[in-house]
Amino acid sequence: MAAPEAGGGRIERDRARFSAIVRGHIKHDLRRYVTGSELIGRKGRHLVSIPVPRIELPRFRFGRNGRGKGQGEGDRAGDDSQPGEGAAGGAAGSQPGQHLLEVELSLEEMAQILGEELELPNIQPRGRARLTSPARKFASLRRTGPRSLRHMRRTWREALRREITSGLFDPKDPRVVPVADDLRFRSWKDVARPDHAALILYMMDVSGSMGREQKEIVRLVSFWIDTWLRSQYQSLEMRYVVHDAVAKEVDQDTFYRLRESGGTKISSAYALAADLVEQQFPPSEWNVYLFHFSDGDNWSGRDTEKCMQILRDRLLPVANLFCYGQVKSAYGSGQFKKDVDQALGGDDRVLTAEILDRDGILPAIKSFLGQGL
Amino acid sequence: MTRPGGELLALQREVETRARDAGLQVPEVVYEVVDHRELNEIAAYGGFPVRYPHWRFGMEYDRLVKGHDWGLQRIYELVINTRPVVAYLLRHNAPVEQKLVMAHVCGHADFFRANAWFAHTDLNMLDVMASHGARVRALGGQVGQEAMETFIDRVLSIDNLVDAGALRRARGRPGNAPPLDGPLAPGDILGFLLLRAPLAAWQQEVLALLRDEACYFLPQMLTKVMNEGWASFWHSRLMTGSLLRDAEVVDYACQHSGAMGGDDGPMNPYKLGLELFRHLHDLAGGDRGGGLAAVLEARAVHNDLTFFDACANTEFCRTHGLGTNDEEIAAARESTLASLTNGGQPVLRRLPGEGPDLELEHVWSGAELQLDQAEETLRNLQGLWQGTVRLHTRLEGRALLLTCGSSGVTREYGDLLEKPELGA
Repeated sequence: MAAPEAGGGRIERDRARFSAIVRGHIKHDLRRYVTGSELIGRKGRHLVSIPVPRIELPRFRFGRNGRGKGQGEGDRAGDDSQPGEGAAGGAAGSQPGQHLLEVELSLEEMAQILGEELELPNIQPRGRARLTSPARKFASLRRTGPRSLRHMRRTWREALRREITSGLFDPKDPRVVPVADDLRFRSWKDVARPDHAALILYMMDVSGSMGREQKEIVRLVSFWIDTWLRSQYQSLEMRYVVHDAVAKEVDQDTFYRLRESGGTKISSAYALAADLVEQQFPPSEWNVYLFHFSDGDNWSGRDTEKCMQILRDRLLPVANLFCYGQVKSAYGSGQFKKDVDQALGGDDRVLTAEILDRDGILPAIKSFLGQGL
Repeated sequence: MTRPGGELLALQREVETRARDAGLQVPEVVYEVVDHRELNEIAAYGGFPVRYPHWRFGMEYDRLVKGHDWGLQRIYELVINTRPVVAYLLRHNAPVEQKLVMAHVCGHADFFRANAWFAHTDLNMLDVMASHGARVRALGGQVGQEAMETFIDRVLSIDNLVDAGALRRARGRPGNAPPLDGPLAPGDILGFLLLRAPLAAWQQEVLALLRDEACYFLPQMLTKVMNEGWASFWHSRLMTGSLLRDAEVVDYACQHSGAMGGDDGPMNPYKLGLELFRHLHDLAGGDRGGGLAAVLEARAVHNDLTFFDACANTEFCRTHGLGTNDEEIAAARESTLASLTNGGQPVLRRLPGEGPDLELEHVWSGAELQLDQAEETLRNLQGLWQGTVRLHTRLEGRALLLTCGSSGVTREYGDLLEKPELGA
């Protein structure tokens, strides 16, 4: 039981090292031998290209020097797969390369790359937010047990010790025969494995001033935040709140598609969020992440004051992190970020970022998640 | 990883009894039952559960895992040449698949013991590989992982520079590589580096163990077609001869054609080898004549090159789509033979001389070296030799001398050779 796990760690280390070379983090001199080959898989009716990078160490091998010198065939396959017009000949039959989709990084891999690129720290869940689930770990030895759990090395060591102390051991004929007393068996104990759960609550302003591009930016930011947090927590709960002058909870699909119009009362969203957390996500069991995106316009200064009050009294005491992302729009004044910074700038759980356009997405994610809170 | 239980052991006994009755020398075979994750891992390590740490195994694993996750590839069987022979069974395979794998493994196990090219192999390789791993880990701890990996990368780049003809000198000695105390074969360039290159003690040790591993794997490269063909010949014979129950026929047929098919054309090694053995079996009179004796003898004495040369006559080539007229068939035979020579690797040998330079010759067989790779490889060789390395080869009908010193590679072309290359 223990053996394959140790082995698995070994191959995972080799694999991690390989990935690091391919991504250019270490051993730059090997990077020039990286070739991009692929596997062709099938997903429903579509064919998908699964990139399988390889590092080919140079060798004395037979080759074709005249044609395509220095260019691997794998590189060319990528170009051919695009359904160019020039290739519209008779050969319709054999090549099913029409709908080749370029995928497939698993989300885990993407999260890892994101983490590496932005140098995101791993999240340390707060002490109070700790659930435990029982798990078994083979960590000790005992004198009885089933044969399948025999610990050979310890058994032989016991036998050797016994033979040496009793003077039976002969270095010229180093045979060691275990007897029943020498047998040692692996044994487990129950350990409590910490299990962390997290709530991500997205709030978005959908008033008339938030256009399609602003929503797209919010979508991208939330997607990457999701991906990263998913890689850090075993169970993740997502809730979505939209607001104009009133707030309501919606499902994910609606969150990204909805286009309302009307005024903006940010406090409505914060009040709803506070209710939600208080009723359904007790902070003793949940790490709570709050994200709010808007274009920075609020109805009135009085409502903004109300916002700060809710944040200070009801949300921040239960939250790991409150992030405010201000997406620039043609109509927004951008006042709200200044207000938040002024009122709560000293609290390291409060982070704000201004996202001017798509190029601002990565810096925003880095500033939100860069502290590992 | 677990040992098989009662049902599998009963199957194993049945399969091996049939195989021995049919004339195979089946040595002791130990099966390990593994899940696909473990199998992918072991396969990435070339069949051995423990090897030295290296990114190349991680690369192999990555490919196998992706292929498996997308349902594109699966490993049919994995068997290693040790004493006892170790083979792996997938835990969730149906009994008919396990039976097929066992019958196939019987063929491999017999081949390992009977074929002349495996006579020198160190059969304790399971332990040897593990101790190589431990040594590399320990030395890597002393000199640093980076230095160790860089050195291994260099050696792996030239680990095909061993001499297949000299392997038999390792017979009856521990290890797989020819001993260094006698005269050195001209193709054993790794051996020459061990004796003469100015290497640090740890480098010597690592080079020696990588040379040993290369010599362990070399016979498998030289007999890939035969080995797979022989195992397929026997799984097919044993399964259809006696082992199959009526209800299993369709499943078996699926499995078998899955392994024999593929887009590789006639060079799918399973298929080519199988057909060659069947052809030879028929030629020698089938089961009633001397067919069985003929294939048993062939599997003992040949490697892929000599086997194809001896068995693939005009009739065989025509039946299996290697050409329709004499000219095409001759060309197909020629190119197949070239691809089987030295396991498809170019033959390089050292020219005699006691000077400070290492002088190599590419033995011309009609195919050019890939030039850019050859130059990179020369640099690696130069890094190990720490002196000038020269390689005589040919390019586009001219003699070409590549010289690699500490500052890089230079090319010198000779005159056009009178006789252009064989396979233009």
